Amino acid sequence: SAAAAPAFDLRGYWASLISEIEAELDSAVPIRYPESVHKAMRHSVLSGGGKRAPPIMCIAACELVGGHRSAAFPAACALEMIHAASLVHDDLPCMDAASIRRGRPSTHALFGVDMAVLAGDALFPLAYQHIVALTPSPDLVSRVAVLRVLAEIARAVGSTGMAAGQFLDLSGASCGGEEDVVLVLEKKFGEMAECSAVCGGLLGSASDEELEALRRYGRTMGVLYQLVDDVLMESNGGAGKLRSNASVVTALGMERALEMVEELKTKAKHELERFGDKYGDKDAEFSPIVVEQKLILLIDG
Amino acid sequence: SAAEPAVAPTFDFKGYMLQKAAIVNRALDEAVPLARPERIHEAMRYSLLAGGKRVRPVLCLAACEVAGGWDACAMPAAVAVEMIHTMSLIHDDLPCMDDDDLRRGRPSCHRAFDEATAVLAGDALLALAFGHLADPTSYPADVSVPPDRVVRAVGELSRCVGAEGLVAGQVADLEATGLGTPIDLDKLEFIHLHKTAALLEASVVLGSILGGASDDQIERLRKYARCIGLLFQVVDDILDVTRSSEELGKTAGKDLASDKTTYPKLLGLEKSREFAEGLLKDSKEQLSGFDPIKMAPLLHLANYIAYRQK
Repeated sequence: SAAAAPAFDLRGYWASLISEIEAELDSAVPIRYPESVHKAMRHSVLSGGGKRAPPIMCIAACELVGGHRSAAFPAACALEMIHAASLVHDDLPCMDAASIRRGRPSTHALFGVDMAVLAGDALFPLAYQHIVALTPSPDLVSRVAVLRVLAEIARAVGSTGMAAGQFLDLSGASCGGEEDVVLVLEKKFGEMAECSAVCGGLLGSASDEELEALRRYGRTMGVLYQLVDDVLMESNGGAGKLRSNASVVTALGMERALEMVEELKTKAKHELERFGDKYGDKDAEFSPIVVEQKLILLIDG
Repeated sequence: SAAEPAVAPTFDFKGYMLQKAAIVNRALDEAVPLARPERIHEAMRYSLLAGGKRVRPVLCLAACEVAGGWDACAMPAAVAVEMIHTMSLIHDDLPCMDDDDLRRGRPSCHRAFDEATAVLAGDALLALAFGHLADPTSYPADVSVPPDRVVRAVGELSRCVGAEGLVAGQVADLEATGLGTPIDLDKLEFIHLHKTAALLEASVVLGSILGGASDDQIERLRKYARCIGLLFQVVDDILDVTRSSEELGKTAGKDLASDKTTYPKLLGLEKSREFAEGLLKDSKEQLSGFDPIKMAPLLHLANYIAYRQK
């Protein structure tokens, strides 16, 4: 029941998953010939103590629909590779020109622009390779589900997903109205979270209806996460990381930004209510209250 | 002649290439609609639909045919390998890499658009390649392609184009340039086996997997592809020395003038020709045992790569 839910140790859950994720990523990107590009790949994926939000989202979604963690684990790690690859390319001098990422030199600053382009180009296929090689299929996951996961990831990073988000961001969509700014946030940050939640659902054998709820939940969470980041950055007097030109705070003002945070939180919780009805009594870990905690941790983390 | 039963004498290679290229071009056109945001899709289409002989997709379809499959079973893979080939050319041409202003006689992608759009168009083509290959709706509804074959194909493609394949070749090539000293034969072979042969290998192996080939057949076709991949590069090196710019349609003697290591430089022209002959022979040997009619396209593709004049 819901009353038992607060006992769930979310920080412990997160911390234990992160150490497992780090270990799997560490062995998935070994140093081999030619060393330069493998070093650049490792720097992109491993350094910096990231929060690993995409893998956590994927694993939590899989467990939410009653799937086994091991079904989602390889795809979860692959999502982090995809996430890292897109950040490496977003940081390039011809794009956001960011020489710092997570408090350390970005990949191109350390290894050169050519090696950064190639490290990204290699991390994308490595993610697919990782899923195919390590997902327990057909034992825990059907071949068809594996293919749906692969197609989902490809869609999310592609020309109507994250690549579109970065393109729109660079072409100044952030100077437009609320609709334009939100579109950039949805593409640039919502897609990755949406894809992570949907992949977790697919690997946990979610129904189509559950998948659609996870899709909306994930997308909302991705935008919310970035929005809160913008709000916090503005509150810190502009100090912090610049991840997008499309800042709701800058474009629409703090008041509207705070309003939107509340709207998105309500929406995210609403999408999870159906899971509370279904699993809440069986397993307190996945009641909406705990998932709301997860949501808060994602934001505060 | 009638004395050579292994070769289907009536096979019209030129017609075969044109017919397959036409259906591949149609599939490529349909796979990248002009969606929003339009500019990035324009850049993808600009590079993908720029022409070319479509050697990789045709190899993929021909390998599927050898295994007894229909073109439609392998078309998603044929489209995928051409998308990845195009993506690697777009990224190769970038100022931070080879810095080429021209590609296939037109401004390269980053010149026609801009650098950021070129990087993103390449990334998007890479994603679309895998998405198109994995998506069940890419396959015809009336021909059943078992999902385990498609999963295996994705695994092969990802290995061939990543840091163990295509990217490894590009990195080794980048690092070999500007050294001032020639690299040795092993290193040269590593570069070509990865930079050129890996994607030809993926083309042939994916076609054969989707066409339903046995493990043994897949491995023989893999060897065939690696031979013609290396052959492609040896012939390229030889043509650079022996043909004029006019005959090649590009600057001849470029390799000789630069410090780029080539087979003629390491082995001499005569030994390079012998090496090419050996590779052609090895590639053809892998095809014995397949239906002579069905393997005719692969046989002629090997000859085409060996005996082309540019």
